[in-house]
Amino acid sequence: MSDATATEPTGGHTKDLSRARDMILCEDVSKWYGDFQALDKVSATIKEQEVVVVLGPSGGGKSTWIRCINRLEIHQEGRIIVDDVELTNDLRNIEQVRSEVGMVFQQFNLFPHLKVIDNVSLAPIWVRKKPRAEAEEQAMALLERVGIPEQAHKYPGQLSGGQQQRVAIARALAMEPKIMLFDEVTSALDPEMVKEVLDIMKALALSGMTMMVVTHEMGFAKEVADRIMFMEEGQIVEVGTPTHFFENPTEDRTKLFLSQIL
Amino acid sequence: MAGFGIGSEIASVAATATVPITAPPETPKLPPREWVKANLFSSPFNSVLTVVSTAILLTLSWNLLKFIFNPIRQWNASATNLRLLMTRAYPEEQYLRIWVCVAIILTLAGSSMAVWRTGSAMPVTGLGRKLLATGALLVLLALLAPFSAGATVQWLLAALVVAAVGEALRRTGGRGETERTVSTLTLQVVALAGLVASLWVIPFGHHSYIPKRIPQVMHEPGTVALSTKLPWTIMLVVVVAAYFGGVLLRDRLAENALRVTLVVLWLLAPPVLVYLILRDPDFDMGHVIGTDIPIFLAYAVLGSTLLLWLTRPSTGEIGRIVAALVLLAGFATFLSPMRMVLRLDLLLLATFALAAPTFAGGLRARKRYTGAWLVLLGVMSWLITSINTASTVRVPGGFFIGGLAITLMVAIFTIVLSVPLGIALALARTSSMPIFRLLATWFIEFVRGVPLITILIFFSIMLPLFLPRGMHLGEVAAVIIGFVLFSAAYMAENIRGGLQSVTRGQHEAAEAVGMTTAQKTVFIVLPQALRVAIPPLVGHCIGVFKETSLLAIIGVFDLLYMARYVVPGQTEFMGSARESILFVIPIYWIVCSRMSKASQRIEQRTGLGER
Ligand SMILES: Nc1ncnc2c1ncn2[C@@H]1O[C@H](COP(=O)(O)OP(=O)(O)OP(=O)(O)O)[C@@H](O)[C@H]1O
Ligand SMILES: [Mg+2]
Repeated sequence: MSDATATEPTGGHTKDLSRARDMILCEDVSKWYGDFQALDKVSATIKEQEVVVVLGPSGGGKSTWIRCINRLEIHQEGRIIVDDVELTNDLRNIEQVRSEVGMVFQQFNLFPHLKVIDNVSLAPIWVRKKPRAEAEEQAMALLERVGIPEQAHKYPGQLSGGQQQRVAIARALAMEPKIMLFDEVTSALDPEMVKEVLDIMKALALSGMTMMVVTHEMGFAKEVADRIMFMEEGQIVEVGTPTHFFENPTEDRTKLFLSQIL
Repeated sequence: MAGFGIGSEIASVAATATVPITAPPETPKLPPREWVKANLFSSPFNSVLTVVSTAILLTLSWNLLKFIFNPIRQWNASATNLRLLMTRAYPEEQYLRIWVCVAIILTLAGSSMAVWRTGSAMPVTGLGRKLLATGALLVLLALLAPFSAGATVQWLLAALVVAAVGEALRRTGGRGETERTVSTLTLQVVALAGLVASLWVIPFGHHSYIPKRIPQVMHEPGTVALSTKLPWTIMLVVVVAAYFGGVLLRDRLAENALRVTLVVLWLLAPPVLVYLILRDPDFDMGHVIGTDIPIFLAYAVLGSTLLLWLTRPSTGEIGRIVAALVLLAGFATFLSPMRMVLRLDLLLLATFALAAPTFAGGLRARKRYTGAWLVLLGVMSWLITSINTASTVRVPGGFFIGGLAITLMVAIFTIVLSVPLGIALALARTSSMPIFRLLATWFIEFVRGVPLITILIFFSIMLPLFLPRGMHLGEVAAVIIGFVLFSAAYMAENIRGGLQSVTRGQHEAAEAVGMTTAQKTVFIVLPQALRVAIPPLVGHCIGVFKETSLLAIIGVFDLLYMARYVVPGQTEFMGSARESILFVIPIYWIVCSRMSKASQRIEQRTGLGER
C-alpha cells in the first residue's frame, strides 16, 4: 500500500511523466535511531522532472527520508538508487550522488565566513573543478536568477532570512544538480519572506527540475506538486495528485491531518 | 546583461554607502565636573573608594619614580650592554647581517600593512584628547619625580606643550560639517620619525662595552654612536618605502595572489633569516654537488611524475592507495639508517600525494600543484643542507646568538610550527578514525600532564641519545622541538574547542554540495573553528613568548638570563640585576601587548559581517 508508483498522477496541471525515467528509487527503506524506527519500509519512485511534495505531521519521518536520499542519514535496510547510482558505503558513489543532488535546508546553513558569491562558487570550483572566473560568472548569473545580484559581495549575516535562503538555493543550483531536495525551506522565514522563496521554487519547477519538497505550505503543494506523498510514523500513508489528495483522500489518517491543518 | 548586473551592483553599494540609516541618538556628553561627580563621587562609599585608591596609586608611582631616579641606580648597565641584551656575543664585524634581517622583517611588515590595509582613521578630536591626557600624565610624573629643579621645569614645559597641542587639536577637530580624521599609520610614522630624529639630536650619550682582555666601558657625551643611529634611520626609510611599495603592488596586482605570496614569504622568513643570513653556512661545494643536488633531482623527477599522475581526475581510488603507500614508506624509512633528507623529502611527497585528489583538475591546475611541490622541495633541501653545514660565524660558547634575538627566535619558531601541528592533532582527535583519535588523545593528555621544564630538559639532554647515529641536532633545535610538541598539545585543545563550535548544519551543507572530507575541513570547518579559537590561541602564543624565559634553566642565553646573570655579573655593573630586570619588563610587555592588540584586530576583521 505504500508503493508510490501505484497511483498515477491524474491532475490537470501535471506534465506527462509516464515515459520519463526514474530519478529516485526507494525500495523498502528502513531506518532506526537506536530502538526507534524513523522509516518503515518506505518505497517510492520519483520520475525525472517530477515535483513531489511530502506532507505529514511533525516527527513523521519526512526529514529523515529526504536526508537519506543524499546520504546525510544512513538507511539500514532497503535500497536507494539515485540516477542509476545505488547509495552504499562506497565513498565514490556518495560523492557522485551528492554532487548531482542539491539540497536546501530549513536553517539555510550558508557558510558565514564566505561572501555570498564565494558561497555559491566554492563547490563548482573545488568539486566540479571549474576555473574560478567561469564559476564566478555562473554564480553571478544564478544570483541574478534568484533576484539578488546586488548582494554578491556581502556576507550571509548581512542578509535577510529570505535573501539567505535564496542564496542557499543558488548555491545548490551552482552544482547543476539533476535533483533538488527542499526540507521545510520556508519554515524559518518571516511570513513576508515566504513568498519570495516559494516563487523561485515555482520557477524552478516550471523549468523542469526534478524536485522533492517537504513543506507545510499547502498552497504551494496544491499549485506546484505533480504528486503529494503523505507520511506518518515513518510510513508513506497515501500518494496522489493534489486534486485527489485535497478533495477526496482515501485514508482516515490523511483526512484527520487535513482536517487539522485546513 | 553583465553590464546591467555590474551597474546595479555599484548603484546598490553606493546606496548603502551614502544613504545613512538615521543616526543613533547622541548620548549627551557630561561636562567634566558632572562626569566626575557621576562616576567617582556618586555615593559616600564611592567617594571613600576613590580617595583611597588615588592615594595608593600616587604612593606607588612616587616610590617607583624614586627608585628609578635614585642616583645609585646603574641605568647605564643596560645602556652599555644593549648589544649584549639584544644579540649576546654576535660578532660586531658581522653586525650587518642583523640589520639585513631587521630590514627584511620591516619590508615584509610594511608591505603587509599596505596589502591588508591595516591602520584606521582616528578622529582628530580623539587624538587631541589622547595628547591632552598624556600631557597631564607627564605633568604629574614631572612633579612626582625627584628631578633637580631645572629638569623639573624642562619636563613641565614639555608636558604643557604636549597638553596644549592636544587641547588645540581637540577644539579645532570637532568644527565643521564632517569630523576630521587622521590615519593612524601617519601617526605611527610621525612618532617613529620623531624617535629616530631624537637619536640624531638629543644627547643620549654613547655607551659601549668593549670586551677586550680587560673589559672596558666607554661613556661619551653627545648623541648615540653612528652605528646605532644610521641603521635605524635606514630602517625607518625601509619600512616607509615598503609600505608605499605595497600600495603600488596592491593597486596593480591581484590582491589575493599578493596576500598568498606575502604569507608564504612570512613563513619562509624565520628559517631563512636564522639559518642562512645570521648563521651564514659555509657550504662544502663538493658535498652539495655530489650528494645534495642529486638527491633533490631524483625526488624532483620521481615526485613530479607521481603528482602529475595523482592529480588526474581519472586516477580515482588507486591514487589514494598509492598515496597511503608513500606515507607508509615515509614512516618505514625511520626503521633503517639513512640520511634525514631522504626521509623528510619522502614525508613531504606523501603529504602532497594525499592531498592530490583535492587539487585534481585540468592540466594547468595539475602543473601548478606539482610546481608548488617542487618549490617546497627545493626550499626544504636548501634549508636542510644549510642547517647541516657548519657556520662561519664563530661565537664563544653555546648558540651563535642570544638575548632578545633568541627569545624571539624560539618563540616565533615555536608558534609557527606548533600551529599546524596543533591543527593536525585537533583534527586527529576529532576524526572518525579510531586509531588517529587514540594516538592524538594519548599524546595530548600525556604532554599536558608533564611540566614544560621536564620536557625542555628531556629534549636538551636526552634527545641526542635517541637520535640515529650520524644525526646531529643543535641544542637549540632540540629545545625548539620540545617546545613545539608542548605548545601543540595545548593549541590542539583550543582548536578542538573551535572545531566543536562549528554546527552540524555547516558540515551537512558542505557534504550536500559534494565536498570531500578534506575540502570540507579546509574550506568550511577550519576557517570557522580557527576564528573561534583565535582569542585562546593568541593567549597561548603570549604564554609561549613568556615561557621562553624557562630556557635560562637549561643554559640558553635568552633575554632574561642576560639581564639576570650576565649583565649584573660584569665587574663594572656588579649588582645591577634590579635595573636590568626593570629594563626587560617593558620589552616583554610591548611584545605581548602587540600580540593581544593584533588578536583583537584579527577578531574584528574576521568577524566582519557575521551574525
Ligand atoms: N538524530 C536522531 N536521533 C534520534 N531520533 C531522531 C533523530 N532524528 C530524528 N529522530 C526522530 O525520528 C523521527 C522522525 O524525525 P523527522 O525529523 O524525520 O520528522 P519530520 O517529519 O521531518 O518532522 P518535522 O515536520 O517536525 O520536521 C522523530 O520522531 C524524531 O524524534
Ligand atoms: Mg523535518
